Amino acid sequence: MPKVVACFKWVVDEAYIRKGGGGALDFSAVDYKLSEYDRNALEEATRCRGEGGTVTALTAGSPEAAKGLKDALSRGADTAVFASDPAFAALDSSQTAAVLAEVIRNRIPYDLIICGEGSGDQYAQQVGPRLAENLGIPCISYVQKLTVAAEGGRITAERRVEEGVEVVEASFPVLVTVLPEINIPRIPGVKDTLMAGKKPVVTVKNEELPPLGAAKLKTLAMTAARLERNCELFGTAPEDIARFVTALQQKGVSG
Amino acid sequence: MEFKLTEEQELIRKNMREFADKYVEPIAAEIDENSRHPAEVFKLLAEGDWMGIPIPGEYGGAGADYLTHILAVEELSRSCASTGFTVSIHVGIACMLVLLNGTEEQKKKYLTPMAKGEKLGAFVLTEPGAGTDVMAATTTAVLDGDAYVLNGTKTFTSNGPTGDFYMVFAWTDKAAGRKGMSCFIIPRGTPGMTPGEHFRKMGLRSSQTSEMVFKDCRVPKENLLGKEGAGLVMAMAGFDHGRVGIAAQSVGIIQAALDESIRYSKERVQFGNPISRNQAISWMIANMATELQAARFLTYHAAWLKDQKQGFSKEAAMAKLFASEAAMRHTIKAVQIHGGYGYCKGAKVERLFRDAKITEIYEGTSEAQRMVISGNVLR
Repeated sequence: MPKVVACFKWVVDEAYIRKGGGGALDFSAVDYKLSEYDRNALEEATRCRGEGGTVTALTAGSPEAAKGLKDALSRGADTAVFASDPAFAALDSSQTAAVLAEVIRNRIPYDLIICGEGSGDQYAQQVGPRLAENLGIPCISYVQKLTVAAEGGRITAERRVEEGVEVVEASFPVLVTVLPEINIPRIPGVKDTLMAGKKPVVTVKNEELPPLGAAKLKTLAMTAARLERNCELFGTAPEDIARFVTALQQKGVSG
Repeated sequence: MEFKLTEEQELIRKNMREFADKYVEPIAAEIDENSRHPAEVFKLLAEGDWMGIPIPGEYGGAGADYLTHILAVEELSRSCASTGFTVSIHVGIACMLVLLNGTEEQKKKYLTPMAKGEKLGAFVLTEPGAGTDVMAATTTAVLDGDAYVLNGTKTFTSNGPTGDFYMVFAWTDKAAGRKGMSCFIIPRGTPGMTPGEHFRKMGLRSSQTSEMVFKDCRVPKENLLGKEGAGLVMAMAGFDHGRVGIAAQSVGIIQAALDESIRYSKERVQFGNPISRNQAISWMIANMATELQAARFLTYHAAWLKDQKQGFSKEAAMAKLFASEAAMRHTIKAVQIHGGYGYCKGAKVERLFRDAKITEIYEGTSEAQRMVISGNVLR
């Protein structure tokens, strides 16, 4: 049965982000969580593992992200691999994909790699496809249903595309990025969490990897969205309705 | 001093938060309105090992510490105080009574299915004429051959209508005074034990409460829990554990009141500004947040003492007293902040307000907690 790798990101829990002066985002009291779609990836990995397969949870991040390992392991992964370095705190997608590829290539035997469609913080949707490219394996994105062939060796995936559903097949090794519709991630039970700390974790340091390439993305600024109350009253007369439609068009609500 | 939860405790708290948001919050108003026991939620709680957190794995529990159980009760209560309480009394009193006093056989037969959440425990002590004055109880247990025969009426039994295993207290030797009460484990369906109808209560409505009538109820000798005559001491130790749970339930209620008050006061605009900008409102919220913190620390400290195997009777009473009274004070304020909307069905603070009141009453009234605390400090 397949050796599955599920990639995850330990992200800022947006519920804790506060609005500072001038609309700046205040991260001083934030907590972290396992990125939502990556929960789907982990859940799908444990489902695909079947009898005799393995699930390795993989992440890259600063040493603080170690907390996420227990969370991932409590969701059914057998082992975790952690590329840990202070330099990995704010990687862009290309760097993350490069680090993950390097770790997987030399350390983790795999048949199937599952990533969430995008991360809970930036949702760039880049890491999955870039990782597949780095490893030289096919990538299937927007997957809403995944089936491992009974005889093993290949998968069938349903992709949700704009005009409908596309069904594709691929042989191992392959990478898929999954949509939240693919499953309902478990809420780990108490014993799952307590057992997680007893599962093996391998830590890979920056110096064990080739030098990190330059970031391709630069964040210039981040500001909070503003909520404004605009109250305008319209009557039911024909000219009011016309004015109402114009107003909607001006606000960009209606084309 | 380290004011820090372990990574496991933090994760378990988050998981319970997610569980409560997903399965409990959406039905909390409905089960309150209909006084319904949400059996479907308890099935899920059992699957997630939430019904026996501090019970060792060999007896079906999760094998974590008491503080972890307390965190779960707090988070559950933040969504629904009734559900949080049902877990609290099941684990904190029924399961703990058997864990601390049961024989190996009793632990296998009764504790294990309770800790797995397959069976629900109940604590049967209070009588119509014996509330805080436990000694005024009249229910008797008379040894007759190989069984005790129980007669009497109990009331305000939480999990009465829904329980499976009842921890029942009765006099085996009234003349022996404090050493004359004993505790029995009585399974549901035992002839002569009849749970009454669920009471219609002001709050905590989905927690099932009833009378329990015992009429020539024969209980095999092997169902005596602990030694004959040790019942009162066991009940008081049970209360110590349970009270930390009620404190946690109160903390959950205050947290919910604070969450609702913050959200509403930032949304509600009067005189052109959100009412949170009014000092009258913001100070209410400041007091609420401060007393929440104090209640939480008292509660966690009591649980921590228990986990350190130190005495925690006084601290449990202090935590319960402070947290429950703070819950009442601040749910009143939360309703005030919500104004007319807070007085109507559909506002969460309306339910929190009604649920808060019981925390000052059950498992020892605030007055009883002051008796425990003063008894400790005036020694």
